[in-house]
Amino acid sequence: MRDRVSLAGGRVVDLLHRGMWLVGALLLTACDLSGGFKGMAVDPPREMPVVAFTRSDGSRFMTAPEPGRPMVLFFGYTHCPDVCPTTLADWKRVRARLGDDAKAVRFVFVTVDPDRDTPAVAERYARMYDPSFEGVSGDALTTSRMMDAFGVAAAREPGTNATGYLVSHSSQVFLVDSHGKLVALYPFGTGWDALAADLERLL
Amino acid sequence: MTLHALPARRLPLVMAMGAAISCTTASAPPVERFVVRSSWARIADSGATSGAYLEIVNNDSVSRSLIAVITDDAAAAEVHETMQHEEVAHMMPRTDLPIAAGAVLTMQPGGLHVMLVDVRRALAVGDSVRLRLRFSDSTDVPVTVPVKTL
Repeated sequence: MRDRVSLAGGRVVDLLHRGMWLVGALLLTACDLSGGFKGMAVDPPREMPVVAFTRSDGSRFMTAPEPGRPMVLFFGYTHCPDVCPTTLADWKRVRARLGDDAKAVRFVFVTVDPDRDTPAVAERYARMYDPSFEGVSGDALTTSRMMDAFGVAAAREPGTNATGYLVSHSSQVFLVDSHGKLVALYPFGTGWDALAADLERLL
Repeated sequence: MTLHALPARRLPLVMAMGAAISCTTASAPPVERFVVRSSWARIADSGATSGAYLEIVNNDSVSRSLIAVITDDAAAAEVHETMQHEEVAHMMPRTDLPIAAGAVLTMQPGGLHVMLVDVRRALAVGDSVRLRLRFSDSTDVPVTVPVKTL
């Protein structure tokens, strides 16, 4: 059974249900071949809000568009043993494929479990896979805003004494172009080479 | 008679004879009831979560189940299966995984895996974790799982 996730100000929302609406809406507008993307193109591209995260050293990470720098995002949690590390390992392959061009890409892992994943934990987790990967953790309101914008769902699930709670979460990767627009999605299981090809196209 | 009692020049002859005898008397090794192959585990920080994947062949003549994974290298090891439902990933605990006679149970990313909770030390490529797989016939199979980035 799903638990509910308590967010800022005691507001309790069923993120899974809310997220499903948004994911469904995104997928309805996505078309496999539209726009020439190997991933599922979002057509028309959707402008994403600028969200600010604070790193453990106090510096800021902003999702604001940067010229020539597309952004790849995934929402997960560091206690995740399977889907999240699989995704980050795929990103590592994408980086290798892109060579020097990879430096222009911002790979961002956003935790949906900020209660356990502090900014430092999220950063270390992402950097373990590649020093260039950004791992960010926001407060409840920031996390909720980011998830809403991307149509991401997450919900706590009961675990054991050892695991504590588990978190079910949307598992697709998002590609935002250098104008800050969401242009494609990559459902879990999509070959990493699709993301690599689409980034090559954007760079 | 001990080897020490023999002149050194006869040693090769004695060893060859011994090898010949052992070859003629050796029988085919017994087939292991469970064979584990293609195992690997993920990198992780100390105290963080890792995952392990492996293939298990059940060579028994009847179905057997994997009922637990035991390790001293983490606070706990649990077998889970990732299930995707409308693009949302869920993890389902699997405490009894039947493997039909002669069948292979395959764990792989996005599916069955061993969740290693709170690993005792950082796991980097080249390290390994030691697991014991417990089956429904009370067999414990030890396996050393290398850490890789696949």
